[in-house]
Parts: sequence; C-alpha cells; structure tokens
Amino acid sequence: MGIYLIKRLGASLLTAFIASILVFLVVRMVPGDVVAQMMGQAGDPQAAKSLREFFGLDQPVYVQYITWLLKVLRGDLGSSWTRGMPVTMMVGQAFLVTLEIGLLTLLIATLIGVPLGILSGIYEGRPIDTAVQSLNILGLSAPVFWVGLMLLVAVSGIFSWSPPLRYMPPTRSLGDNLQILALPVISLAVLQVAAYSQFVRQNVVSALRQEYVRTAIAKGVPVRMIFFKHILRNVMIPIITFMGLILIQILGGVVVIESLFALPGLGRLLLTSIETRDYPVLQGALLVVVATAMVINLLIDLTYRLIDPRVRVS
Amino acid sequence: MTDLPGASRAAGAAPQRPLRANPLLRMARREPGLLLGLLLLGAIILVALFPWALVDASPYAVDVTAALKPPSAAHWFGTDDTGRDVLARVVYGTRVTLSICGGSLLISAAIGGVLGLISGFVGGWADQTLGRFVDVLLSFPPIILGVIITGVLGSATINLILALSIVYMPVFFRIARAGTLSEKEKTYVEAARSIGINEPTILRRHVTRNVMPLILTQYMILFPLILQIEAALGFLGLGVQPPAPDWGAILEQGKNYILYAPWMSVFPGLAVLIAALSLMLVGMALQKRIDQR
Repeated sequence: MGIYLIKRLGASLLTAFIASILVFLVVRMVPGDVVAQMMGQAGDPQAAKSLREFFGLDQPVYVQYITWLLKVLRGDLGSSWTRGMPVTMMVGQAFLVTLEIGLLTLLIATLIGVPLGILSGIYEGRPIDTAVQSLNILGLSAPVFWVGLMLLVAVSGIFSWSPPLRYMPPTRSLGDNLQILALPVISLAVLQVAAYSQFVRQNVVSALRQEYVRTAIAKGVPVRMIFFKHILRNVMIPIITFMGLILIQILGGVVVIESLFALPGLGRLLLTSIETRDYPVLQGALLVVVATAMVINLLIDLTYRLIDPRVRVS
Repeated sequence: MTDLPGASRAAGAAPQRPLRANPLLRMARREPGLLLGLLLLGAIILVALFPWALVDASPYAVDVTAALKPPSAAHWFGTDDTGRDVLARVVYGTRVTLSICGGSLLISAAIGGVLGLISGFVGGWADQTLGRFVDVLLSFPPIILGVIITGVLGSATINLILALSIVYMPVFFRIARAGTLSEKEKTYVEAARSIGINEPTILRRHVTRNVMPLILTQYMILFPLILQIEAALGFLGLGVQPPAPDWGAILEQGKNYILYAPWMSVFPGLAVLIAALSLMLVGMALQKRIDQR
C-alpha cells in the first residue's frame, strides 16, 4: 500500500506539473493580452510598455512560469490583474460556491439515482425497468443548461416565481441560499440521477448473474438476505467510487450552469477571467479545477483498494 | 469471426422462437431501443441532407415586423428577436451542428485512434510519453477543456472544431491502445509474425482491423456527449457565431428572451435532445454487442 501510494502520488504530481505548464502556455496563446484589453485601440505605447513590465509580461515565458510556479508552491496564486485582489482568495470563495452546488447535486443524485438503479436492476426487463431506463436515457440526452432554461420557464409560468438574482452565501441566509441554488442544482441533478441510476442498474444486473447469487437462491436463502448480503455488498464499491466521477462531471457542468444562473463559482470565474484575459485568475482557477479532479481520482483509487481486497492483490 | 453455437447463448437468453419473416418486427421485439434510435437518426440525417424539403422559409430572412412571435400556423416554432423563422433555423441548423460535431469527432477518432494503436503496439518510451500526455488532457473535465480552447483562441468555427477534436481524443487513444494491447497477444499475430510478415503490416492489416469496431462504437457513444458540449459552448457564446444557424448559437440567442419568448429556446434544445437520444440508443446497442463478443 505504501509503495503504491507513493507511486500513485508521484504520477499525480507529475501530471499536475505538466498540466500547469500546459495551462500556462495555453493562456499565453491568447491573441491580445490584458494590457491591450485595458488600453483599448488607441493606447499609448509607452504606457503599455510599462504596464507590461509591471505584470512581468516583458519577461520570457519560461521566466514567467518559474516565477509563478515558485509562488504557487508557497500557496500564493498572485493577484488579479483586473481587480487587484489576491487570486487565492477569489478562487477560494468561488470554490466554496461550486463545492456547495456539487455536494447538493451529489446528494440528490445519490438519494434518487441509487434506489432507482437498484429497483430497475432487480426488476430487469419488467415494465418498471423499462420506465426507469427510458427516463434515464432522456435525462442523459437533455443538455444540462437547457434543462435549467426550461425549469426557469416552468417555475415562472406555473408559480410566477423566479430565483433571486443576487447570490447569498449559506452562512448569511440559508433559506435565500437554497432558493438561489434550487434550480441550478436540479438542472445538474437531472443528468446525474440518470447517470447514477444507469450505472447502479448495470452493476445490480451483473451481480444478479453471479454464481454465488444463484447458489444462494438454490440453497433457499431468503430474498431479503440475498439482496443485502450478496448483492448490495458487492454493488457498494462501484456505487461509492461513482460518486467521485459524478463530482468530476459536476465540476465541468458548473461552467454553463453558473453562467446561466449568475452564480459566483469556479466556472464563472473561469469564464470571466478568459474574457478579461486575467491570467493569474485563469491559471489559479484552472489549477484548482484540475487539482480537485486529481484528488477525487486519487481518493477513488484509494477507496477501491481499501474496500476491495482483490485490487490490493493484483 | 465465426459464430459458434455456444456464443449466441449468452446473447439470446430468451427461449428460441421461430424467427419472424420481417426483420423490422424482429428488431422491434428484441431491441426496440435500437430500432427507435435508427429511425430517429434516419429522420435527422434526412433533415440534415434536405432541409429545404421541410421548410420554405430561409434561416437568414430577417423580418423585424414579425419579431418574437409565438408559434403559429405561419411559424410553427415562432420567430426570434429579428423575426427569423425558428423552425427554419433549427432545421437548417441540423446540418451545421451535426457536421461540426461529427467532423470533430472523426478527427479525434482518427488521430487518437492511430496514436493509440501505435502506442499500444510499439510500447516503450513512445507509449510512456503519449500516455502521460493523455493523462494530462484527461485531468481536465471535458467541457472545461472546450471552454479554455475556444475561449483562449477566440470564437470561430475553426477553433470550435479544434477544441471539440481535442476534447475526446484521449478517450479514443485509450480505447485503441487497450484494444491493441489485448489483440497483439493473440495467436493470429504470432502466426503472422512467424510466417515473416513485417510489423507495420501486422499492425495495419490485422490489429487495426480488429480494433476498428471498438473505435467505431466509441464514436457512437461519444457523439451525443460532443453534441451537448458543442451546444454548451454555443450557449456560452464560444461556438458558431451568428447569423449561422447552429443549435447552440440559437440557444444562446434565446437566452435573453427566455421568459418572453421561450420558444426560441425550447425547440433548438429539443433538437439537441432528440439527436443525442437517437445517437445514444444506437451507441448503447452497439456497446451491448461488443460486450457480448
């Protein structure tokens, strides 16, 4: 386990390192940098030059990268070029918003998707399975942001209600916070419930085909016992690991949803920093997204190894 | 591939009934999802090929006096903020959206597939390096990768195609590589080698042919996903630019009128949903066959 952990961490760090270089380079491929954007068309070349010096843009790219990396290693993501605030703080605040959206979505996806998947798996081929599967395929096909738009139309048409426009953190007013997050979370959850239930169904179906289940049935073990002892226990591992995959999916999905519902999360921070060419913010936000995805993947791997002894042996 | 009598047992668990003469009916009974998917997909392809057969209105014809009109007999899907017929835009958008998605995915399948085949067959440092690079790309959630590339390079169709081609390239790479790794251990490769066929020929003639079905299936599975990413990028204003009729672009345009003129958003979204649905049904049926093999 120890050696595996070191190897796995090493690989993750190397990937993160290459990813950071990639992020750094891609950001600098932008036609027109922040200075050009600040100064507009008729900028004073002298002023532009001194601004570039101020931002360190006159340095060769590798020097800029090393300077940035050394700061990042000390936990300093620099400060925003357009707003002057420390990037660490901006990204941190945005991360909390996205984290709340992600966890709420995961909660709904788990509470609805898992039971639906188990039900449809147990009744494979019956009408209830067909119904659940049809819903799943619909949920998987509908674009997340479109579901959000339709929800907006539906609630305003039916209840003459629309979500508050200004974001409110849960610490200030939980009620307002949940009102704001309700529609975005439901839009994200539609897809994830479908994905989760489809995944759980497949696992239940294949668990039911195992010989130990057949043996248990032949021995006359009560159905309830077969379900809890044999099926659920074996399906639990993939169910838990799939949570991680859902969180990574949501991490991508929030970009569109946050922009649609004007939520100040990581996704919107990414978009606005691209628009304003705010490199430090863009790099910081991307780094956090990639690092979060990596940590989740690492946790998935580790849980697998902890729960399932077979993985440890191979 | 020859069908062994035992091989089909897993597939058709149901007791064998005499086959009906009509293959459509047979498919409807055994794989209703596949049939529905194929029918929808066929209809969508027809719409993409012959949009003018379906609508008279031009997707570009602006008529300010008829702006933001709800669905009616004259405009089935209503009109947009410049009075253009939404039905015409959605119908003509089929070709734009599907060709961008299909083309981009073809590029990723070709490049990712070939690299995966070579990487798996040759192994060694080339495999290591490519694998590492693919890991890096996979560490970004797909849509974020798309947003960065289109956002950084600017909104233009060519940049959109580039972004969409890169998004799923790593997935094709992994599928092709894994397929190649398992194929190259098989006896037929050893046999080909022992009769003196050179390595590139073995890879091209024998391994590739057997990995191909995996890549094709993956293509169908990823198509609905790339369709949604394309729509999302369009919705964010990073995709096809107006006035071109593209589903994502129409949705982006409708966003500002969502409460006053929801029809501008309902129909292009439904188009994405139906296209994704049909592709998904076909992809799932293909995947089932691969799994049974």
